[in-house]
Amino acid sequence: MTQPDQQPIISISHIAKVYEMGDEQVHALRDVSLTIGANEYIALMGPSGSGKSTLMNMLGCLDTPSSGTYLFNGENVSDLNDDELAEIRNREIGFVFQTFNLLPRATALQNVELPLVYAGIAKAKRIEMAEQSLTHVGLDDRMDHKPNELSGGQRQRVAIARALVTNPSIILADEPTGNLDSKTGQDIMNLFNELWRAGNTVILVTHEEDIARHAHRIVRMRDGLIESDEANTKPLT
Amino acid sequence: MIKWSEIGESFRIATNALRTNLLRSVLTTSGVVVGVVLVVVMGWTINGLDAIWDETISIIGKDMIYVDKWNWSGGGNWRKTETRKDITLEQAQALVARMETSELAIPLARQWGGSVSYGNKSIRCGIYGTTFEYAFTPAGVTEFGRYFNEVEQRQADNVVVIGYGIAKAIFPDGDALDKQIKIHGIPFRIIGVVEKRGFLFMDFIDNQAFIPLFAFRSAFGFFDRSFSIGIKAGSVKLLDIVRDEAIGHMRQIRNVHPTEEEDFSINETEAFDDQVRNIRIGIWTVGIGLTILAFIVGSIGIMNIMYVSVTERTREIGIRKAIGAKRFSILSQFLIESALLCLTGAFIAFPISQGLIAGIYWTARAGFDLEFLSVVSPLIQIDLLLIAIAVSVAVGLLAGLLPAFKASRLAPVEALRYE
Repeated sequence: MTQPDQQPIISISHIAKVYEMGDEQVHALRDVSLTIGANEYIALMGPSGSGKSTLMNMLGCLDTPSSGTYLFNGENVSDLNDDELAEIRNREIGFVFQTFNLLPRATALQNVELPLVYAGIAKAKRIEMAEQSLTHVGLDDRMDHKPNELSGGQRQRVAIARALVTNPSIILADEPTGNLDSKTGQDIMNLFNELWRAGNTVILVTHEEDIARHAHRIVRMRDGLIESDEANTKPLT
Repeated sequence: MIKWSEIGESFRIATNALRTNLLRSVLTTSGVVVGVVLVVVMGWTINGLDAIWDETISIIGKDMIYVDKWNWSGGGNWRKTETRKDITLEQAQALVARMETSELAIPLARQWGGSVSYGNKSIRCGIYGTTFEYAFTPAGVTEFGRYFNEVEQRQADNVVVIGYGIAKAIFPDGDALDKQIKIHGIPFRIIGVVEKRGFLFMDFIDNQAFIPLFAFRSAFGFFDRSFSIGIKAGSVKLLDIVRDEAIGHMRQIRNVHPTEEEDFSINETEAFDDQVRNIRIGIWTVGIGLTILAFIVGSIGIMNIMYVSVTERTREIGIRKAIGAKRFSILSQFLIESALLCLTGAFIAFPISQGLIAGIYWTARAGFDLEFLSVVSPLIQIDLLLIAIAVSVAVGLLAGLLPAFKASRLAPVEALRYE
C-alpha cells in the first residue's frame, strides 16, 4: 500500500467530530487515524450512524474536525477557513455523489466546466478540458444534453467527468451506484477500476459488500471508530 | 482576487434564474418599477422647470441689473426698505449719465396696478414709463410693430407698446396695432406688441405696457414715485464690474456715508434663483420621499424573493461549494441576480415613465393651453435613464445583500443534504 519513501496523500490522526444537538453532544467521530497513499483504491464501509459519512466529509474537506489533525499532501487542512477549503476541494478532490448532484439547468458540458470556472480558467481552455473529460467517460455524443435528458448511468458519468476534469489528487465517491440498477452500477464500477488503473486514487464510501469488493483495501467503521482496516486480497478489478 | 470566469458564470446563472421565473421576477420588481417611474418623472419635471426658467431668465436678461428702492427677492428687512427715500428722477438720470462700463442704462417709472381698456374690455397690468432704449434690452423685442423711437419719446407722444398677455386678452384676433387704448383714461395708440416672454409664475411679465417717460408723467405724475434704473452690462462676465460701478455712483448720488449700508437695492435675475431653488427643493423633497418609500417597499419585495431563491437553490449552492465555489462566488452570484432583477424593473419602468410623461405633457399643453411648455421636451433625458439605472442597480445590490450573504455562508455539508 503506502510506499515508505512516498508522502501519503491523506494523513489523519486522532480526529474527532462532535455535533451539538440541543443539549446533547453527538460524537460522530471519536478518535480516527487513517493514512491513504497515492493510487490506493480504498472502500470506506459501515452501517448508517457509524460515522462513515462524517469521515467522508472530513476527507473531502467539506467539514473540519473538532479535534485532531488532517494533513492533505502534507498541508494541515484541519483549521483552514471556508475559502481555503473550497480551494483545496476545487484543486485536489473530485466528488461523485449517490444522487449525482448535477445542476439541472446546465448541459453536461457546462456541468463539467463548472469546477474550472471556479479555478479561474479561461473559457476556451475550459471547454477543451471539459470535452476531453466527457470523451474520457464515453459521453462525447451527449455533451449538450441536460441531466434530465440523460439516463442514470450517463448522469453518473457526467458527474465522474466533472470530478476528473481538474485532475484531482483523490476521487471521493459516496455510494456512486446507490441510485443505479445493478447492470449500470457494474458499468460505473468498471469505470472506477479503469480510473484506478490509470493512476488515480479512489475512495469509495459504501455499505454494499459487492461494491466494496472492487477496492484493494477496506476500512470498516462502527460507532465513530475504525473497526477494521484490511487489505482486500481478491479485488474485483 | 476576482475571477472573471466566476463573474461571467454569475451572470449566466442570474439570467437563467430570471428567465425560468419570469412572471415571478416581473411581479417582484413592481416596487422598483414605481420607484424608477417616480425618479424619472420627477427628474423630468425639474428639468422642464429649469428649461422654462432658463427661457424666462434669458428673456429678462441675465446681464441686466435693476437699481431700485425695492428688493425683488423680498430679502432684507422689508420695514427698513419701506423707510428708504424714493429714488428721484434726477438721481436716476444722474446714474444713467454717469454709467461708463455698461452697455445701456435706462430710467424706469412704474405704475403698479394700472389698467388699460379698449371699449368695454379692461385688463389690469403694470405700466412703465421709459426711454426708447428699452427696445435694446432683452425685454424689448417686439413681435408685431415696433418700439417707440427717440423722437416720440422726446415729444412724449401717446404711444404704447403692450405685452403679449395684454394683446391676447384685449385683441384675441391679433389685430392690436394702431388701436387706441385708454391708460388711466388717456388714449394711447398701440405701436407694438412685445413677444411672449413670461413663463409659468412669471406670467406678469407679459402683462406690462411701455410708454414714453414723459407721457407717463402726464398720465400718472412723478410725484411720490420711486424710479428704477435698468442697466444692461452687455455680458454676464461684466456683471461684477458694472454692479460695482453702479453701486459706487449710486452711493455718491444718494449721499450714503461710507460706513452706512446702501439705501437702494441691486436686483438681478439671480434674485429669482432663490425662489426657483425653493420650488426645486420642494419637488425633490416630495419626490424623494415618495421614491424612497417606493424603493423601500420594492427592496423588501426583492429581498423576500431573493431569500426564496436562496432557499430553493440551497442544494445548488451546496454543489457549487463542494466543487470549489468560494463565499465570494456565491455572494456575487446572488447579488448579480438581485441587481439584474431591479434592472429589469428599471427597463419595465422606462416605457411606463415615457408614456406618463407624454400624457402629462400633451394634456397640459393642449388641454390647458400651456404654451410655455414648448421649451420642454416630452422625451426622457438620457442622464435620467442613467441615474435610474444606477439607482435601481444600487437598490438591487442592497436588497440582495442579506440573502446573498446567507447563501455564501451556507455550510456545504448542510446544503448538499437539503432536499
